[in-house]
Amino acid sequence: MDSLESGQAREHIEMVERILAESSQRLCHGAEYFIVWGLYSAAATVGWQLIANGVLPVWSAWWQAGLLAAAIVFSIVRGRTKRAQELRRSLVQREFFNVLWLTMSLAFIANVAAYKIFSGWASAAIWTFAEAIVLLYIGLHGNRRAQICGVLVVVSLVVANFSAPSAAGYVLAAGMLAGYAGFGISELFARD
Amino acid sequence: MDELLLSKIRLGIVAELLTADWIAFSELARSLDVSNGNLGAHVARLVEAGYVDEEKSFVNRRPLTRYRLTARGRSAFVAHVEQLQSLLKAHGRP
Repeated sequence: MDSLESGQAREHIEMVERILAESSQRLCHGAEYFIVWGLYSAAATVGWQLIANGVLPVWSAWWQAGLLAAAIVFSIVRGRTKRAQELRRSLVQREFFNVLWLTMSLAFIANVAAYKIFSGWASAAIWTFAEAIVLLYIGLHGNRRAQICGVLVVVSLVVANFSAPSAAGYVLAAGMLAGYAGFGISELFARD
Repeated sequence: MDELLLSKIRLGIVAELLTADWIAFSELARSLDVSNGNLGAHVARLVEAGYVDEEKSFVNRRPLTRYRLTARGRSAFVAHVEQLQSLLKAHGRP
């Protein structure tokens, strides 16, 4: 076939338009990751608050390492399983993973390598900040639940700023739980 | 017009890959509703022309072939669709 008749050209254009309209631009972000990491970050923040308030001894912070290891192992195992089942990845999806890993990596670096600058509740707040970026990025792609949860996380940050030092950790943890883990749960139930 | 993209199946493959980072062979066959043999022949021509990149790997000991659109394929697609639209315009159909 060297050239097309106008009828065929129309048929081809219509097919292209249909494919582009049907191509999924929805972000599939893995609700379970949000639940696991939201629960972990909230538990760790509550743990630090309890230590700061003298309710728990300092050595009790070690259980957080166990929780962190469990969350990491879960993410790796689940990620491998999902990758094996994945048959298509959209450009939007790739962009989301880039944003996710950049945000979380920078938050991790700030936490570990700049702990003198991000000391005290700033170290927990930076995770709140990172979670808000991820949620609001998903929200930018039209996910209303992510928009609401992202705003919730940001509000918790502001409220924590004006809270008493004995309660700031609880407020941040509430934001992580309701905003990040809450978003994961809402997505789980919203799946079609 | 781009001769390679005059085929409806090849044009469909490129259109599917346009918004995708990558698509597996089986998923392409399913979404375009073509047989594996038919898709294999068409996609091989696109790979040969440098329009599409092919990646072969094993996931859980099962072979997985994935395709992604190259910059060359993207440019060719855009130019081809523009020409299709010009043709339609010339025939009085916007």
